[in-house]
Amino acid sequence: MEHRIGVFVCHCGSNIAGVVDVKRVAEQLADYPGVAYSTDYLYMCSDPGQNMVKDAIKKHSLTGVVVSACSPTLHEATFRRAGAASDLNQYRVEMANIREHCSWVHRGDKEKATEKAIKIIKTMIEKVKQNEALEPISVPMTHRALVVGGGIAGIQAALDIANAGHDVVLVEKSPSVGGHMAQLSETFPTLDCSQCILTPKMVEVSQHPRIRLLTYCEIDDVSGYVGNFKVRIRKKAAYVNRDVCNGCGLCVEKCPRTVASEFEEGLATRKAIYTPFAQAVPNKPVLDRDNCTYFESGKCGICQKICPVNAVDYEQKDEFIEEEVGAIVVATGFDLYPVVNIGEYGGGSIEDVVTSLQFERLLSASGPTGGEVRRPSDGKIPKEVVFLTCVGSRDPENHVSYCSKVCCMYLTKHAMLYKHNVHDGQAYVFYMDVRTGGKGYEEFYQRATEEDDVLYLRGKVSKLFEEDGKVMVWGVDTLTGRKVEIAADLVVLGLAMVPNSTAVELSKKLKIQVSEWGFYSEAHPKLRPVESLAPGFYLAGAAQGPKDIPDAVAQASASASKVCALFSEKEYHREPIVAWIDEDECSGCKVCISVCPYDAIEFDSEKGISRIQEAICEGCGACIAACPSATIQQRNLTDSQLYKMVSAALED
Amino acid sequence: MFEPKIICFFCKWCTYAGADLAGTSRKQYAPNGVVLRVNCSGRIDPQHILWAFREGADGVLIGGCHPGDCHYQDGNYNTMRRVSIMKPMLEALGIEPDRLCLEWISAAEGDKVVRVMDEFVETVRDLGPLDLDLTDRLSGAEAPEGAEVVEQKS
Amino acid sequence: MKIPYYPGCTLHERALDFDKASRECANVLGVELEELPVWTCCGAVFPLTTDSVMEILAAVRNLAYASRMGDKVVTLCSFCYNVLKRTNKVMREDGERREKVNLFLRADTETRDKIESFLKEDYVGQVDVLHYIEMLRDVVGFDKMAKHVKTRLEGLRVAPYYGCMLLRPHGEMKFDEHPEQPTIFEDFLTALGCDVVDFPMKTECCGGFQIVRDEETAIACSQTVVASAVKRDADLIITTCPLCLYNLDRKQKEMEKRVSGFRKIPVIYFTQLLGIALGIDDEHLDFSDNYVDPRPALAEKNLV
Repeated sequence: MEHRIGVFVCHCGSNIAGVVDVKRVAEQLADYPGVAYSTDYLYMCSDPGQNMVKDAIKKHSLTGVVVSACSPTLHEATFRRAGAASDLNQYRVEMANIREHCSWVHRGDKEKATEKAIKIIKTMIEKVKQNEALEPISVPMTHRALVVGGGIAGIQAALDIANAGHDVVLVEKSPSVGGHMAQLSETFPTLDCSQCILTPKMVEVSQHPRIRLLTYCEIDDVSGYVGNFKVRIRKKAAYVNRDVCNGCGLCVEKCPRTVASEFEEGLATRKAIYTPFAQAVPNKPVLDRDNCTYFESGKCGICQKICPVNAVDYEQKDEFIEEEVGAIVVATGFDLYPVVNIGEYGGGSIEDVVTSLQFERLLSASGPTGGEVRRPSDGKIPKEVVFLTCVGSRDPENHVSYCSKVCCMYLTKHAMLYKHNVHDGQAYVFYMDVRTGGKGYEEFYQRATEEDDVLYLRGKVSKLFEEDGKVMVWGVDTLTGRKVEIAADLVVLGLAMVPNSTAVELSKKLKIQVSEWGFYSEAHPKLRPVESLAPGFYLAGAAQGPKDIPDAVAQASASASKVCALFSEKEYHREPIVAWIDEDECSGCKVCISVCPYDAIEFDSEKGISRIQEAICEGCGACIAACPSATIQQRNLTDSQLYKMVSAALED
Repeated sequence: MFEPKIICFFCKWCTYAGADLAGTSRKQYAPNGVVLRVNCSGRIDPQHILWAFREGADGVLIGGCHPGDCHYQDGNYNTMRRVSIMKPMLEALGIEPDRLCLEWISAAEGDKVVRVMDEFVETVRDLGPLDLDLTDRLSGAEAPEGAEVVEQKS
Repeated sequence: MKIPYYPGCTLHERALDFDKASRECANVLGVELEELPVWTCCGAVFPLTTDSVMEILAAVRNLAYASRMGDKVVTLCSFCYNVLKRTNKVMREDGERREKVNLFLRADTETRDKIESFLKEDYVGQVDVLHYIEMLRDVVGFDKMAKHVKTRLEGLRVAPYYGCMLLRPHGEMKFDEHPEQPTIFEDFLTALGCDVVDFPMKTECCGGFQIVRDEETAIACSQTVVASAVKRDADLIITTCPLCLYNLDRKQKEMEKRVSGFRKIPVIYFTQLLGIALGIDDEHLDFSDNYVDPRPALAEKNLV
């Protein structure tokens, strides 16, 4: 077949053209064997740029196209569509990555960058020459979604998907849905009560006919691929038969053991058998085995004796639930940066230095102080309260480098609510910058300074320590250049948001990428912000990066709409870049079967050969490298193609 | 100064994305390597590596996901085993084993791409151009199957 | 067990008591502090210029001497420890300066003979710089040290003062896990049976050598430290630095003049306290130089 390849070199404004001599690249490649047409353009991905590709395919009867621009993760799909629009099989369109892998990383040497760009493009020309015309592989799809995490993001995603008519399995590791939002007092910038807007959604998610709610459950294992995941869920032993339990609460009332309450952030206690909070959904207790007298000594057993419906079962074991789903939304949320790491602020040893979540509980009407701000050490109403932003955040040397985004706003809210609570009190906020990006946020901050007299001091606090029943705050006001010393009654730390402690472990089970700090990575920071790079996984809420409630909800709905778009087709169309076996050459040694991670290869004992099931093959290529007779090849990435690409890259 | 030619086989899930990140972060590194994108580092056959040396590469860099992070479960373990077997083989052929490098680089490690690239280029630069007496030894040998264009069969 | 020991100038002059007590304690614990046969001043302040090597030569020379005797060198004074440890890091990590320094070492006529006789190779940071307290923890072991204790210091309320030079900069010193909340001296005191007084000023500056330039500022610093320990009912303060001791102890004379109702508190070296616990004779634990005599406070707990 005569090759007629079209090469389209993108300037990407000055992103590429500022470093790579695009004219020279296009001219030089016009003479490369098999190239029928070569040109350059300011923005290939723009409408005129795409039309240029479409027109050239027809005008020059192109058999393949190499768009030399950005990473294939960005615009491969764009140009494949453009090719298809001109009746060129989409798999005959390839991207040569001369931006991320060349112009952006070799700005210092334009000559070498230009040479490298030419080499990169040559490799892709060689690849395209041997690309087959392929069609996507259609496989059946399970129209049911899994949502991991029952905070506000997970709840929203589950409701949106379910309301669009698809079944949802919602898995939450703690005994109740609600997440951190259930702990909050009032929310900025409107000051509506967090529980009032959240609890109806919690109830809805538990009663929705299309949602299977699995609380006190964890993801044990995930296998399969987009459209056809198999999920094993560990249902942790609650030692309470929650189907039988009627939620009367007698066992909780009579349990003699008390431990620090996680929901109250250690400011109050709960029982060993407990529901985390009054509005918990489901409102049925679980038994905390590690703190139970019965499990420690075999004595007690009061909860079992008193239960009117015999729901307490000490013999209960972890159970496993198998679910098949087509898409997975990950919404595992955040934790606060551990306060023990902040030695200069006492590392958690000073009682009247509280975390931001603890202060939420002190403000909450359902909290341990009934909504009156009282400090933990002696229950007195604090008259001088100091709020610290960026505790751990924006400190690359010692803690985390990023901005946690929500602390400026919630500390402003804290200071404001404190002032509403304690009229004669004084609130101070030490800040690095006050970041109020968001609708109504700046106005909210102005209100705090003007109407509530919150005093903002620009500077870091170097040390907190106890002295005479006060918390001494040593800080600096960098605007006046003065050292500031405050004898505070209470200090609130705006600790950095970090990924939920389970996030990294879960990412390994799901095989999806996390970024440097453990937040899940999106496929593209701007254009694909709610998808993971691994197909079939979608991200929602603070699991992807620090976020406030509106952003988390928006991202959850976006994830849900992506899931619905996936489910809008009956079948899932997969990339046909799979392996195939030349039946004439196969000796039937079965080495390939042993290395295939997906059991995609079956053995035809009649013919004595192996055969790949395209619907299951993921295209990893393990079998190809293992095949001793080079009988297996990968579609559109054959050994022959790889050899030619290597040669092209090394040609002078 | 000697500018080594480097062939990089990067898996598309981790290292290729890591190199993309190095780009979006505008990190700067040596321009000697050309990256070929493969689905998995486990796709790389020893013959690909030998072919690269034969065609004039001074070094071959393979980038895969960290152990336990392979998108295809355990493809990178296959790579690890192959590379450890390859090294003495290369030595026997008169190719310094340090000309073959395997690194685990995740999608979040743009910095590591830069570091590994720069360090590997320096390592190979110190080794000097690959002495291709080797071609004499290989010239009698047949090119590996597939080195010539074959029509794909279905 | 012999360990190379770098005393530094002050321990041979103003702080002879510190040197003496430390050697005696080491003996009891089965460690012989083997003083470097030749040593010079460490330089006293770690230089922050990165384009010059002259200021670190003295420290490197001492480290090079130590490398002949072993793989460690122990020191006591916080300034010496700070300078030696940071210089060692430069020698381990900064190739350019390492090369230059070694060139100088070889060219230096005064020391060339001495150095070439033992320095077969360049000094590249072969020795580990240990503070005496690190030696107690990592070489001897606090638990083993506790076994040698004759008189447990029960009921004695001791405030451990770290000062700055042991801890900062943390990235280079790596003295304790957390520079803001170090615990090594607390662990040491607990092993001796003391009641540890945790006071917030334990890592604040004593005023350092500002005492010779701006006495007011320096005394304000040291007074804050002293007052903080007194307020928490400490019986005495321990320190590891002769300069800290000078500012905290001897300057209490000035504090008395400045602050009405000032309460004095004895400040001693940590190895002097260790000596008491190990039952070392008073004659080896010389308190004659202290402005505030620790003996009454110790006598109150029947410790002298």
